[in-house]
Amino acid sequence: MAATINMSDSERSSPNDQSVSSRSSNRSLRVAEKERRKNEAEDPFVLALKYFSDVEAGTPVYGNDDFERNLVLVEKVAYSRGLPPEAISIMLEFAMSLRMGSAPCVRVLKCLIPATVVPQEAVVRAVVWLGVGKIPISTQVLFIKWVLTIFDMIDTKDQLRAIYGFIFSYVTEENLCPYICHLLYLLTRKESVRVFRVRKLLELQSKLGRQPFLLHLLSLYKVFCPELVTLSIPSRMRSGFRNHISPWKSALIAVQKRNGSQIASSMGLAFTTMDKTSSRKRKHCHLEFPALRPVVNKEAPTDQSSGRKMVPLVQLHSFAELLENMHRIELPAQMGSLLGSSLALQYLDCVQDESALLRLNFWLGYTLHEEFLFCGDGGATQNSEEALQFLNKLLSAHHFLQEGFSSSEAFLYKFLNVWDGSLLRPQILGLLSNIPVVPSSQIGRLLSEPLMQLFFTSSLFFKCGLMECLNSMLLKWLTWHSVYALEDDLDISLNSHTSINMTLSGFKDSVMELVRFVGRLASVGLQIEGCHSLFLSFVLDFYETVCDTFLKYGLPLVVMPPSGVFYPALLATDPISVDRLAYIMHRYKVNLTSAKAQEKQTKQAFHISRQTFHEFNHYVVVMVSCLWNSKMFQPGLDVQLGEELLLKSNVPQFWTSFDLIHHPAFMSYAVDFHQKCWPGKKDMDLSSIKHSKPWSWYLEYLFTQGYDGLKQFAQSNISRQLTAGDGQGDTQQR
Amino acid sequence: MERPQNSVVRTPPNSTAVQRRSKSKSYRQSYRSCLGAASRLGLTPGLTARRLNSSRRALKSHIITEKVNPDHLALLVKREWRLSYITPLHQFRHTQLKRYSRQLSAFIAAEKQQGVAVEVEGSQSGFRVSFSVVQGLAATDDDAETVLIQIFSRPVFAKQDEPQKSVWSGWLTCINGNPEYLQSLPKGFTSLPLFGGSGAEVLTSLVKSWFQQTFDCCFGPLEINHTSLQWLAALWTNCHTESNLQHLKMIWTLPVVPPLQITYTINPQDAWELWMSVRKDRLEKTEDEEEAGSIDIEEVMRFVQGLKSHFYRHFRLDLSAGNLNQVSTALGSAKFSGKIKISNSRYMITTLTLLTECALLKMPV
Repeated sequence: MAATINMSDSERSSPNDQSVSSRSSNRSLRVAEKERRKNEAEDPFVLALKYFSDVEAGTPVYGNDDFERNLVLVEKVAYSRGLPPEAISIMLEFAMSLRMGSAPCVRVLKCLIPATVVPQEAVVRAVVWLGVGKIPISTQVLFIKWVLTIFDMIDTKDQLRAIYGFIFSYVTEENLCPYICHLLYLLTRKESVRVFRVRKLLELQSKLGRQPFLLHLLSLYKVFCPELVTLSIPSRMRSGFRNHISPWKSALIAVQKRNGSQIASSMGLAFTTMDKTSSRKRKHCHLEFPALRPVVNKEAPTDQSSGRKMVPLVQLHSFAELLENMHRIELPAQMGSLLGSSLALQYLDCVQDESALLRLNFWLGYTLHEEFLFCGDGGATQNSEEALQFLNKLLSAHHFLQEGFSSSEAFLYKFLNVWDGSLLRPQILGLLSNIPVVPSSQIGRLLSEPLMQLFFTSSLFFKCGLMECLNSMLLKWLTWHSVYALEDDLDISLNSHTSINMTLSGFKDSVMELVRFVGRLASVGLQIEGCHSLFLSFVLDFYETVCDTFLKYGLPLVVMPPSGVFYPALLATDPISVDRLAYIMHRYKVNLTSAKAQEKQTKQAFHISRQTFHEFNHYVVVMVSCLWNSKMFQPGLDVQLGEELLLKSNVPQFWTSFDLIHHPAFMSYAVDFHQKCWPGKKDMDLSSIKHSKPWSWYLEYLFTQGYDGLKQFAQSNISRQLTAGDGQGDTQQR
Repeated sequence: MERPQNSVVRTPPNSTAVQRRSKSKSYRQSYRSCLGAASRLGLTPGLTARRLNSSRRALKSHIITEKVNPDHLALLVKREWRLSYITPLHQFRHTQLKRYSRQLSAFIAAEKQQGVAVEVEGSQSGFRVSFSVVQGLAATDDDAETVLIQIFSRPVFAKQDEPQKSVWSGWLTCINGNPEYLQSLPKGFTSLPLFGGSGAEVLTSLVKSWFQQTFDCCFGPLEINHTSLQWLAALWTNCHTESNLQHLKMIWTLPVVPPLQITYTINPQDAWELWMSVRKDRLEKTEDEEEAGSIDIEEVMRFVQGLKSHFYRHFRLDLSAGNLNQVSTALGSAKFSGKIKISNSRYMITTLTLLTECALLKMPV
């Protein structure tokens, strides 16, 4: 018999599973179920339910075989697959109405394992029965615990909220109070917080003492109506309500596992008001983000706001809720708290209220100043762990918003003058890279002076870090420009949408000033550090940004690197730097040619100076004659040595010593190539590669080694036929 | 009352200020660049910003007893206050003080008994808070009226009918605040940058955290720096003829091992004569009373230098190497740690003006 039950049961519940999640389909589902029940009148489970719905009041329990058989049947279904909504309604009604006395109540309640959802009406009716029947108190507690456990499975909660007052009246029942408070906590909306309820709870508090359940409910009341009640929760009470899942836990988990349904029960129901994580107090406690708290003194309701109810930000727990309430979110009491939560940051991105942002800036500026500037007793150095976390959070907020706060900018200008360059270096440099465009006249005083001092007195790693920071600063400026600049209006101010009404020429001046400053730093830095290849790599990173300003970011500005950067890269001992230099020169060429083309085409008056073209051509001539044409140290190039001195050095054919064969960075490739080309040859004559055929093979070989920069450079600057001949590079670029 | 700042050298206008005032459509404004726009550039907040005035009017004995409630005055004088600076208060209303009183007393009650909820509007037994406005202390129209806070409590073992005793008091004020700064604040902000509290430290911190949570402001300690202390020494000395100083006491600390503390007490008449010799040039040169009434930082420095060299002649110790930690006279006393006592209400305004300036200097934005 059991086998047939199970089979028929699984047949009937299978369509259930598919339509579990959507509430709207429940009704139709139930209708369909009803019909099916007619057809399957012989189904013993259906018959059992029918028994419980029809059983007459006063029927004895003891020795009643019908009752026992039917209940076992229901239990079996409940523990194996869970009860469908209909069955829950019937069984709950049966139990709470005490039709067969209170004896079977507990047993029935324990087997109320929902398969899908719990119909709200059933819960509401049962709550009403609480007030009518003479249910033993322990059973009442069990019932409320059951409601708490399956709370998230109740299909809708509007009617339950409608009887909030009725449920509230049970708080005076001493035994029920903790559970009722928990239930109320789950049901409370702003409109349910009333003065008389607050008073009632406070009265209970004075009677029962400080009980966590009362406090938690009251703290929720405080969130909604801080003007009515205030309290402070001691840390040991912050854990929240206990869950009461134990009587149903194993069965519920088993059923859910079996049904594969992911309906979350209140197992994970946690108390989510503001709990401070760090309880460690210290003297200067600036580095904590304030908690999200609702505003106490609200503005007198104006016409605009009285129409819609505001939602405190504290009450929103998901992005969906945030979107839903976007138009009526109430800012928290302390704007600084927005930085502490990722959800709030999403909202901050949309905040348009200027004074709200000013509040945030006051708080942030205060915190940074107190911690890093005013703090006499070491401040940040003593609490570097907290400072680190704070700045990391601030940085991630910056990254999320894609811009820095003005208070952190103002702070940095002061801080750079007292910074030792090592305290929290990555964070400070990160913040620095976020500062918006600085007018060219200010760059010197605000950035160059303090940074130069730090740069020349700090380690190689600081130099690299600073170079990276300045590169990322330039990138952000350029990106900002490319986003906001009006295409057809190049010379007039940028889009009025942005706060910075900087003219294009002002912006160009700033970028130029920054690039020149970095050029100076890089030249001297390379000299100090002996052209360290790590530092050189960061410098080349920067110029990779610089060479593409026109094409990538639409800024009609091309600034060439100073010779202090160009030659160390050209004569570097690692091939990668030379290759990157070649790539950069290639991009310069592409940018310059297209700028020139555009200038001709549109007849527009932006002008890249002849000087820039001249510098570029000069560099290209140097590169070609040095790497390709073996004409190092020829008159007219920057690097010149006295003839006698060169002869004295006894370097044979010194003019070839920096071509692609003899260049220290490429020598190993030349040797390798030589061996592959003439495997039998005993004596190595690298100069033989210079002959036209092997030379072109050698170039091919180099290009296949991944030196795309050289390849692109060669393709855009050197014509093959000429290379084969006397190798005159095509470098005419006027 | 004539406005004292007429003769005062104005601090250069501050660009943050200017920026915030301009009504731009941009919502990013406040946290966009603080000096971005080339057009409204000029000065940067971070660097030029506000500076201590280099010249100020001599302490005029203001007859504020006529304007200010004597009960309030009695509370303000002869008490040592620990100073703090406060960033502008958001949505503070002088008309809501009753409400704030209830809220703060409920807040204190709730914080004092952790884990017990307190009804805000109900009657409390523990602490009674009273907020009141000190009318007539504000010197200009830009200054917000001073707010006085008192906390009363009944001793634990007191009789039922015993009156509650004042256990803490404090005030927030702004006297002659930099008008550019004050006017630059958007609507909804009230700047009362100077806060003084006197009473149990626990209550001070509770009051501060209530303000922080209610008006989204921040409190930081305000020390009275070396220069300000020298200013006070000179300003007080300048009053000697009107109101006897009785003594001019300065406490210096010298950075030696072990640290050396020097208490340097000067006979008021000697101090006055030294001051007059410093002032002589100006008083002779100018006929203008306005001009004669103002004091320059150079004069202050010369005065203090005179005191230092006198000390050097006697003890062969150069005080320039040390720090001035405390200045006190019969008119009041001030400590580097940010404690001030004003003993004579007649010179209150000028002292508070100086302190307001110090507090505004600390504003982060």
